[in-house]
Amino acid sequence: MELSIDRLTKHYGHKIAVDRVSATLGPGVYGLLGANGAGKTTLMRMLCAILEPTSGEVRLDGKDVVGMGPAYRDVLGYLPQDFGYYPSYTAAEFLSYIAALKGIPREAAGKRVKELLGMLDLTAVADKKIKTFSGGMKQRVGIAQALLNNPQVLILDEPTSGLDPKERVRLRNLLSEYAGDKIVILSTHIVSDVEAIADVVFVMNKGQFLVHGTVQELAEQVRGRVWELTVPREQARLWQEDFTVANYRHEGERVVLRIISDEKPSDGAVPCEPILDDAYLYYFGAKEA
Amino acid sequence: MELFALEHKRLWRTTRVWLCVVLCFFYCVIYTGVISYQWTYFGSEGDDPTNLYSNHFDGYSMIRTYMARADTYGDYWTDETLQNLVKDFQTMIPHTSLSSMYDWTVGLNALDLYEELEDPGGQQYQPLIHYVDTEDLTDFYTRRQDYLEHNLKVNQQNLLLTDEDVEMLREMDSHVKTPWRYEWTRGWEKTLTSTLPMLSRMAPYLAIVLGFLFSGEWHDSTAPLLHTTKYGWKKLARVKVLSGLAFAVEFYVLIAGGTVLLQLIYLGTNGWDMPIQLIKLLAVAPWNMLQAEIYELAFAFLGVIGYAGLVMLMSALVKNNVLSLVLSLAFIYVPDLFARYIPMWAQDAMQFIPMVGYPTDIFRMNIFHIFGKGVWLPWMSITIPVLIGVICLPFAIRSWARRERV
Repeated sequence: MELSIDRLTKHYGHKIAVDRVSATLGPGVYGLLGANGAGKTTLMRMLCAILEPTSGEVRLDGKDVVGMGPAYRDVLGYLPQDFGYYPSYTAAEFLSYIAALKGIPREAAGKRVKELLGMLDLTAVADKKIKTFSGGMKQRVGIAQALLNNPQVLILDEPTSGLDPKERVRLRNLLSEYAGDKIVILSTHIVSDVEAIADVVFVMNKGQFLVHGTVQELAEQVRGRVWELTVPREQARLWQEDFTVANYRHEGERVVLRIISDEKPSDGAVPCEPILDDAYLYYFGAKEA
Repeated sequence: MELFALEHKRLWRTTRVWLCVVLCFFYCVIYTGVISYQWTYFGSEGDDPTNLYSNHFDGYSMIRTYMARADTYGDYWTDETLQNLVKDFQTMIPHTSLSSMYDWTVGLNALDLYEELEDPGGQQYQPLIHYVDTEDLTDFYTRRQDYLEHNLKVNQQNLLLTDEDVEMLREMDSHVKTPWRYEWTRGWEKTLTSTLPMLSRMAPYLAIVLGFLFSGEWHDSTAPLLHTTKYGWKKLARVKVLSGLAFAVEFYVLIAGGTVLLQLIYLGTNGWDMPIQLIKLLAVAPWNMLQAEIYELAFAFLGVIGYAGLVMLMSALVKNNVLSLVLSLAFIYVPDLFARYIPMWAQDAMQFIPMVGYPTDIFRMNIFHIFGKGVWLPWMSITIPVLIGVICLPFAIRSWARRERV
C-alpha cells in the first residue's frame, strides 16, 4: 500500500496554506510536526479528500483518492482536530452510529464497538452521555471512531490534545501496535508524542515540508549544534535573549541551559546528545515554535 | 435501514425536540383541547355572562345537557320546532349564561329569515330571539328557500358560485334523508372551525426541530467526521430526509390523534352525518361533518409534510441553525405580514404555501379566481402545499450532498 502526495497545494485567496507538498508514504507511522498555522490540518483534510486542493493530488496505490470516493473512505479513518460529537448520545451509541455510517454490519459493529471501548478504557462510561465526558475522554471516543473500520489509512489530527500523560502513553502504544502494515499519519505540535512512535517525521512550516526523516536522522542533523552551559542564575535571562534555549534547569544557585546554536556559544559550553526536540527548535527557533 | 433507525432515534434524543413536542402537545391538546372543552367554550348555566373564564369546570356535563335538550326537538324540523325552541330560550334567559347562549346558534340563524319582525322602534338592543312573538314564526321552509335563492343569485352574480354549486345548494335537501332537523351543531362547529385548524400551530415547533436537521451538523462540528465515512454525505442526506419525514408524521399523529381523542371523549360521534351547511348555509362543499373533518385532518397532515420539506431544504441550504430557523419561520409568518399589501391573486397564491392556508376555507364560497371565473378547489388546496414540500426534498439532498468538501 502506498499513499503518494503529489505537489499538493492549497490557496485561500492570496494566502498559501499548503505549498507544493510531495511525499510517498508506505506502511508505518508518520508524524507531522509544525507550529500552529503551519498547514498541518489543511494538509490532513486534503489527504482525507474532504478539502479540495488548489492543485496537485493524493493517490492511494496509484488511484486518485477523490475519484475513489466511497472506496477510499472505506479504508480511511480520520480524527479531525475539532472532533464534533452528538452531546445527547452515549459513547456506545455514538460509535454504533458512526459504524453504521461506515457501512459496518450491525453484528460486527457491536463487537468492534465493545472492543474499542475496552482498548480505550471507556467501557465503564460506555452508557454515559458524551456531553458529561472530560476533554480526554471525548478525545478517546474520537480515536475509537477513527479505528472502527480497521482503516488501512489512519489520519489523526492532534490526537493527544486533552489527554493526560497516562492516556498519551496508552495511545502511543495503541498506535504502534495498530500500525503494522497500515499507514498512520498523526499531526501534533507535541514533539515527544511523535518521537515515541513515528517512523518518519515531517517538519512542516509555512505550508511546506521543511525537512523529513526518522527521529534519529532529524536529531543527527543538529549534532554539534546542541550545547549545555552552566551559568549563574542572574545571567540566564541574557543567554535566553541571545540564543535558542531548549531547556532550563536549576542546580543550586546556578542554571544549566540547553542551547541550540550553530556556533559554540561559550568556552564553557559542552556539546551534548541531540534529540528531536532540539531539531524542532533548530528549525523553528524557540519563539516561533 | 439501520442507519435510518439510528438517525431517527438521534433526532428524538435531543432535549430541544422533546421540549417542542411537549409544548406543542400542551398547547394544541391540553390548552386548546381539554381546557377549552371543559372550561371556556361550553358555558355553564348561571355563570358570569361577562367573563368567559368564570365558567365552572363542567364542560363535559354541559355538553351532555345541550345534547339532551336538542333531542327533545325531534327529528324533523317544522314551524313548531322553531317556535318551541325560541319559547324555551325566552323562558331560560334569566338563568342562562352568555356562553351557553351560543348553543342556540341554529335558532339564531333560523331567525335571520324573519328580519321584518325586528323591533321597529329600534328600542331592543338584543337579538330577535329574546323578544320575538313565537306565533309569528311561520312559513319556515318558504322563507328559507327565498333566502337561499336570493343569496345564490347575489353570489352567482359576484362569480363566487359556479352553476354546479348553485344547483347543488338549491337541491341540497334532496341529498339527505331528513331535509332539515334540529341538531346540536356547536360541538362540530368548534371541531371544524377552531380545534382542527389549531393543528397549523404545529409549524413553529416543526421548524425548531427540522430546521436544525442539516445545519445542526455544522453547529456540532461533525461535518469533517461524517464526510470521511464510507456512506458519507449523500446517503446521510437521504436518511436525514427520511427521518425528518418520519418525525413529521409521528408528530402529527401525536397531536392530531390527541385532538381527535379529546373530541371523541367530549363530543362522541353524534351528528357525524349532518351536512356542514348546518354550520354555514352557503358552504358549497357537498360534505357531512365527518367528511369535512377528514378533509381538515388531511389538509393539516399534507401541510405538515409539505412544510417539513420546506424546512429541511432551508436547513440543507445554510450552515447556521438560527438562519435556517428564521428562513423556515419566514415562510409562514412573512406572507401574513404582507398579505394586505399585495394583489388578490398573490394572496390566493400564498394560500398554497404549506401551513399558510387554512382548512376552514371549505366554509368559504369560492376562493380562487382563474381567468375571471370563481372556482372552489379543495383538492388544489391540499395537494399543492404537499407537492411543494415533496419537490423540496431532492433539492435538500442535492444541496447537502454538494457540500461534499468542508
